[in-house]
Parts: sequence; C-alpha cells; structure tokens
Amino acid sequence: MSDKPIRPATEPQPVEDVQGDGRWMAQHTRFVQECKDAEPDVLFVGDSMVQLMLQHDIWREMFSPLHALNFGIGGDTTCNVLWRLQNGELDNIKPKVVVLWVGTNNHQHTAEQVAEGILAVAQLLTSRLPKAKVIILGLLPRGERPNPLREKNSAVNGLLRSRLPRPGQVLLLDAGPGLLQPDGSLSQRDMFDFLHLTAAGYAAVAKPLSELLLQILEETPEERRASLV
Amino acid sequence: MPVFANTDTKVMSAGDSNPAATPTTCEEIHGDGRWLSLHNRFVSDSKDKEPDVLFVGDSLIQLMHQFGVWRELFSPLHALNFGIGGDATQHVLWRLSNGELDNISPKVVVLWVGTNNQGHTAEQICGGILAIVQVIKNKLPLARTLVLGVLPRGKMPNPLRERNALVNQLVAEAVSSLPHASFLSVDPGFVHSDGSISHQDMYDYLHLTPQAYQAVCQPLHGHLKSMLDKPAEN
Ligand SMILES: [Ca+2]
Repeated sequence: MSDKPIRPATEPQPVEDVQGDGRWMAQHTRFVQECKDAEPDVLFVGDSMVQLMLQHDIWREMFSPLHALNFGIGGDTTCNVLWRLQNGELDNIKPKVVVLWVGTNNHQHTAEQVAEGILAVAQLLTSRLPKAKVIILGLLPRGERPNPLREKNSAVNGLLRSRLPRPGQVLLLDAGPGLLQPDGSLSQRDMFDFLHLTAAGYAAVAKPLSELLLQILEETPEERRASLV
Repeated sequence: MPVFANTDTKVMSAGDSNPAATPTTCEEIHGDGRWLSLHNRFVSDSKDKEPDVLFVGDSLIQLMHQFGVWRELFSPLHALNFGIGGDATQHVLWRLSNGELDNISPKVVVLWVGTNNQGHTAEQICGGILAIVQVIKNKLPLARTLVLGVLPRGKMPNPLRERNALVNQLVAEAVSSLPHASFLSVDPGFVHSDGSISHQDMYDYLHLTPQAYQAVCQPLHGHLKSMLDKPAEN
C-alpha cells in the first residue's frame, strides 16, 4: 500500500493477503510441515527463481539426489524470506548447505538496501545453522535490454562480493553474466519473460551450482555426516 | 513501437465503465520494460509465422509453453503462445487491439485469462472476456475463440474460488449464443472432497505443475483437434 512507510529490506515481514486466497501463508505452512518429516542436506530458499526450479527436470536430475528441499515462493522479497525463516521454516532441519536466491523483487529498496537484506538473511541462516554453508546466488540481469533494474541487480552483486570474506561460511555464486548476449540483450531461450528462466536457462545456472554443492558436501567430514543423518 | 500514450485510446461501448473491459497497458512499475518487450516480441514474431492456433492469456498460458506438454501436444498443431504472467482481461484486450492479431490468421484462438483481475467482480471479468472475444471476432472474422474456464485457486475454499466459478457460469452462458465462440471447462477436478487443492497440481495453489498441465491439456488437445478438423460453424 502506498500510504504505508517503506520498511527496511532487513525487517521480517509476512506477505499481506491482498488477493484473499491465502496462498502465501498456505505455502509457508506447508514448508513448516515439510520440515517435520524431511532431513534435507540442502535447503533452497527464495523467490520464484527458486520455486520454478522445482518444476523442471533439472531439479529431479541434479538436486533431489542431494536430498534437497525447495522453499521458494514467487514474488518474495528479503523481508518475506526473513519472516518465513524466523517462523518455522528452519525448525527441525539441519541442512549442510542453504542456497539463497532472493532480492530481485525488492522493488522498494536501493541496491545498498537489497544487499543488506540478503546479508541479513544469510546472517540469520549462519546463526541458526552454525555448521552450514550458505550459497548466495547472485541476482540475474532482467529486462530484454539494458535498464535501471539490471544496473541495480548488478550493483547488489558487487556489494555482496565486496562484503563477503573469502573463504568464509557464506559464498556468492554469480551465474548471471553468461546469460547476457553479445549485444547486451537477454534471450528468450534463457529467460522466457526476460526475468524467469527456461529449462535451458536453469541448466546453465544449475551446472556451476551443482558442482559447488557437491564440492561442499564432499568436504563435510564423514563422522559429521554420519551424525547428521 | 507502441508508446504508453496509447493507454488513453480507450475503446469502450456506450456507457461502459468496466475497467476489466477497458484496454489498458501494464503499468511500467518495475522499470525493466518486460511487458512491452513481450508484446512487441509477439507482434514481430507473428510476422513470419502462420499459426493455426493462437493461445493468449496470462501466466497459465505462458507457463504451458515452458513444459514438455507444449512441444508434445500443441507445437504439432502449429500453435503460437502469447501468454504474459500477471495479465488481466484489460491487458490482453490492449495487446490484441494493438498488433498481436494483425499479421496472423489462426483458425482457433484459445483464451485463458481472468484470474488476475484483482478487485473486479465476476460480472466485470465476464464483460472483459466478452470484449476480448469481440476484438478477436473483429480482427479475425473467420476464427473461432475457445474460452477456457478460470480455475479454482487457493489451498482451501475462499472468495476468489467463488468469484472464478461465477465467471465461468456467466461466460459459458454468454458465449453459448455466439456462433464464433465456445466455452470449455478444463478443470479435471483439482478440488478434493475436503475442499483442498494439492500442491502436486498447483505448486503455489494457482499455477499448474507439469503433471497438472497434462491433465488439463490432454482433453484440450482433443477438443482443438476436433475444432480444426471440422469446418467453422458460422
Ligand atoms: Ca457458441
């Protein structure tokens, strides 16, 4: 609502059910329930970029075998993900890696604020899961042609890169640059609406992500792995 | 290139102030120009295509294109997909009035839109769908329009489910007297006996999983085949 003050990107906030069908809360409630039955090694959390991955073969091929859960909700901002993670979505699970992909929907916030929001989610994750690694996926370019939102997303990635100590518990993986065509456009072969990924676009992102995940999971000492099963 | 000033060119029937039936561009609230990019792409892509079937509508049409069901069932029918996520009837009305039908002459137009008409009544949404059917009739006098029923949504019963059901009732009744249009319910029974919708069918209780697209598209494909095989009613 326009008459409400803009809340910081670091402030947990549930999505208001403006449409009146309760879908957001129904999804969150389902995720909380899934935590009670599953023992994931990998947790994916974020917005539609995470959510839609689950609908493609790539999920079953590359991520299901790693014992992964998918807590993506379309349209979510850093505020919404913070709220979800503070309200049950981390209860009862101890993933070894969390893949975080959120921020492109933070339309009210500057690049600086979005980066702070993403880092706040990462900090929540590392404090709740001190032994887990967090992989932040960099924000992708969007829009067919160069535009201010592309610049903003790119600036967010730059800020994250400069603020994350290396090596550290939190890693940044930026799969975006490969999606840009030589003429600066985005192709519908990769992003069907110049924001969301096609199966081919997901394949390009999933390859380096899968390699990094396997590397991290293999680094986990056997005895620790045994105790976590 | 279309400009946003076109928003002011409102085509309204006499005394009609139905926002769902007033051609409207999608507001450029986000600043990356994606909606207009997609519209322009549809217009230019259609210039060298000769589709027999055109699919037009919102994300339910758009996402169909992303899964195997499209290549399996609809590509062989020479189909084009003009779906844009988030579109309401007034946006599809604007798109079809502004170039998307100008270079093609499909035999059948599949229209699936209405669930995103936030704040509109069932009557207004029905009016919006009928206005789109009329634009298609004006631009493509030989084509038939197949209006797909809007689906139930939300995990549990809620006012939008009731509204969508009423939209279907009104539209089915209104198009029954039109020789160039028909209505098809494509809900295979998404609502279970306890009133719930499963995330196996609608992953976010609105959008369809690949499995649910199969359930929707198999009968739709059969229906389209028979429409294409027999000559037009009119
Ligand atoms: Ca009829």
